[in-house]
Amino acid sequence: MNRELHIVGFQVGRETYGVPITSLHEIVRVPEITAVPDAPDYLEGVINLRGKIVSVMDLRKRFGDKNATIRKQNRILVVEHSGKLAGLIVDSASEVLKIASENVEAPPAAFQEGGLNCVTGLGKVDGRLIVLLDMTRLLAPGNLTQQNSNAESKNGKTEARAASAR
Amino acid sequence: MTNPPDERAAELRALFFETSQELLQALNEETLKLEKNPGDEEIVRSIRRTVHTLKGDSAACGLRELSELAHQFEDALSLEGTAAHVALAEIAFAAADVFAEMIAAYQSGIALPDVQALHQKIRELTASPGARKVRRKKKNIAPDSRKDWSAAEKKAIAEAQKAGFALYEVVVKIDPHCSMPIAARQMIQLAIGSLGRVLVVRPDPSSPAASRQVEFIFASLQAIEQIAAKCHIPTITADVNISLIQAAAAKASADVIRSEATAPAETTAGTPNSTQSSEVISAAPPVAVPPHTAVAEHSASPDLAAPQPSVENILRVEAGRIDNVLNLVGELIIGKSMLQQAMNEFGKRYPKELLRGKFADAMAFQSRVLNDLQRSVMKIRMVPVEQLFRRFPRIVRDVARLCNREVDLELCGQETDLDKGILDAIAEPLTHLVRNAVSHGIEPAEQRRAQGKPPRGKIRLNAYHQGNQVLVEVSDDGRGIDSQMIRNKAIELGMVVAEDAARLSEAESLDLIFRPGFSTAEHITEVSGRGVGMDVVQSVLQRLKATIHVETRLGVGTTFRLKLPLTLAIIKALMFWVEQRLYAIPLNAVSQIARTFESEVHQVDNYEVLQFRNQVLPLLRLGRAPAPHVDRKAQKLFVLVITVGERKYGLIVDSLEGEEELVIKALDDQTFATDLVNGASILGDGKVVLILNLPAVVEHVSRMRPGAAGTTNFGLLLNHADRARLALGAAEGHA
Repeated sequence: MNRELHIVGFQVGRETYGVPITSLHEIVRVPEITAVPDAPDYLEGVINLRGKIVSVMDLRKRFGDKNATIRKQNRILVVEHSGKLAGLIVDSASEVLKIASENVEAPPAAFQEGGLNCVTGLGKVDGRLIVLLDMTRLLAPGNLTQQNSNAESKNGKTEARAASAR
Repeated sequence: MTNPPDERAAELRALFFETSQELLQALNEETLKLEKNPGDEEIVRSIRRTVHTLKGDSAACGLRELSELAHQFEDALSLEGTAAHVALAEIAFAAADVFAEMIAAYQSGIALPDVQALHQKIRELTASPGARKVRRKKKNIAPDSRKDWSAAEKKAIAEAQKAGFALYEVVVKIDPHCSMPIAARQMIQLAIGSLGRVLVVRPDPSSPAASRQVEFIFASLQAIEQIAAKCHIPTITADVNISLIQAAAAKASADVIRSEATAPAETTAGTPNSTQSSEVISAAPPVAVPPHTAVAEHSASPDLAAPQPSVENILRVEAGRIDNVLNLVGELIIGKSMLQQAMNEFGKRYPKELLRGKFADAMAFQSRVLNDLQRSVMKIRMVPVEQLFRRFPRIVRDVARLCNREVDLELCGQETDLDKGILDAIAEPLTHLVRNAVSHGIEPAEQRRAQGKPPRGKIRLNAYHQGNQVLVEVSDDGRGIDSQMIRNKAIELGMVVAEDAARLSEAESLDLIFRPGFSTAEHITEVSGRGVGMDVVQSVLQRLKATIHVETRLGVGTTFRLKLPLTLAIIKALMFWVEQRLYAIPLNAVSQIARTFESEVHQVDNYEVLQFRNQVLPLLRLGRAPAPHVDRKAQKLFVLVITVGERKYGLIVDSLEGEEELVIKALDDQTFATDLVNGASILGDGKVVLILNLPAVVEHVSRMRPGAAGTTNFGLLLNHADRARLALGAAEGHA
């Protein structure tokens, strides 16, 4: 089979990730974000996307970089997930890549069990490695709640720390 | 029977599922009547009519099992002597339940329920002594034995004649290629029914001839060719043959026409046109009109009003479409506030510009129209509470019978309008409250007699408007709720500490029944039993931004009062800032706005309170805790006095922004698990503002156990970044 996959590449940290172009709604600059109380820290809040309220998650925090801040070249990938729009903050998103399907390898077994079971494959383009993600799995409610509880227990710790500091 | 792939059939089914609910409701209501007046032939007849309609409709949709069962039941009902059967009402109730289950099963595509029990009951009915087979309908009538009418049919025909309708015999041949002849028959009947009244339908749907042709005796004021045109449905009807049996009595029809002079078409006095046309019809010999020559010499024939205009003026619209319109209206309101903002800036920049007045006029006009538009769209969503209330007689009867109580149900304020979404949502909590009132509120008859009360308990459902809210009340004249018992139980369950419990007011003690986990089986037998699943009631109401309030007097009765918002979509809100972020709360929850100083705030039991006009007001700090080292006297505070449930609290906020009409948009529930926020809204400048859920905010604070070190009722709206920053600041301050 000589099919080509059209992938939108974006950077989070040092890695380049990719999602099928069909799974993306649009890419926007980061507007003013309204924080929602009582939410885990990687959930940045909500934005106004032309009259629609869209919840925004910081993919960088979700992938472990807790100190990520919003910069000018950051973008929000807007994806549609179970009928609703959701936004993902990434470091930058610029390119559309064409990857022949034979250049995609199945993800290593180690990825399957960890928190990153949303990796569908590894694509090779000009010697670069692109981690292909499945958006629906990334945003699946089960995944989020699991992350939630982690975040909450951590949150408890922060509070405890804050209290002792006082 | 297989599901026909035909789109029309699917539509027919959807329609059936909708209308069948009304039929079932009617069946329940009639049966309730029958139970009160056992043996009443008239009621049995009306039950039979309902069952008959259900049978016909279900057969038309190919729901064979249902139509067979209905047919069996209808047959049983038409036996003489059935009406006198003692258990008839019981069986009718059972039948209504089974029908409902079957329809639900068809709808969701699950397996049909077991109907053997009902079969058995119906068989008992038919086997009862004195039951003689007298069929109302004569089967096996040859298709062309036209004059062989039953007494009922003759009577209907005579009545129609007297009313001045022309009588037609309509013979419609069904297209032999049509895949669903029974459905086709139903469709023809519906089509023709919109023009007049169908008196007789032949042959019986169960007879084999039914799939080939259908005959109606039909009373109408319409011209022949209009009827022919209506009957001609492509791919379904092959041939239409209409003949006039009895012309409209000229005088009578003229009367009818005169009485319909209000119809827009009939403006000229005396209506020569109409009289003429009715003469034309009466002069017309019984002719067969081929389907394609519909428009001909009678083009002058006026569009006489159909016999039931009210039915035709009601549209069934999918709720989603109306929601869509409402959404758009919401966007318009956002647009309005954008314009308003631009206008203000314009005014500031060019204070002397004369165009400003014109702009202001145009905007005032626009906002007035917009308000009307919004109200009209809201009205579409409104339905009378009656739709919900009418199901309660049956529920009360069932529960009363189960618990051996004698209960009368009184329904008031049924015409009160309520948003359809809210109505649907409160159905379950309200059912719960009513069931509880019957089973636990009302005492057994002997006990009531002993207390000097009438032996029959009374439950009253009432609905009425109050300001911007709708109140729905469930009251009983039963034993009431003992708040002391509630307190004891709560202590026993470990929900409150004994010393706290002692301090609770009457209202606060009653609120305990809404706490999750308060209901226990033991509790039901010991005390009044209220509280079973009350937390469910509470949670539904919280989602609706509604509140519930209990009023009770021992031995006299209890009233549950639900306060519901008129609509879920748009609220008037007060906006304020906390930690540089904008929030909004519903304006009707705010009773006062006060300014005070930090030094006025006192600490009681680790909670902050404010002495406010002879009241002690518990305070909720949404932002950070007060800085310890600053002069407390100098620090000014904004306090919003809010009412949640029946209690007042003070919210400490940083500054106020103003009030605005907000269009509520839901947050993604799956992503944000928090209940602190009800939704969000977009302001004129594109900013997103979060709308706080006050009951949840209050609950969060009251759930927090006051720690030993200082107050805890602050920082609800701080997020992790804020907390980290504050902790850092505090640490540095100490250092």
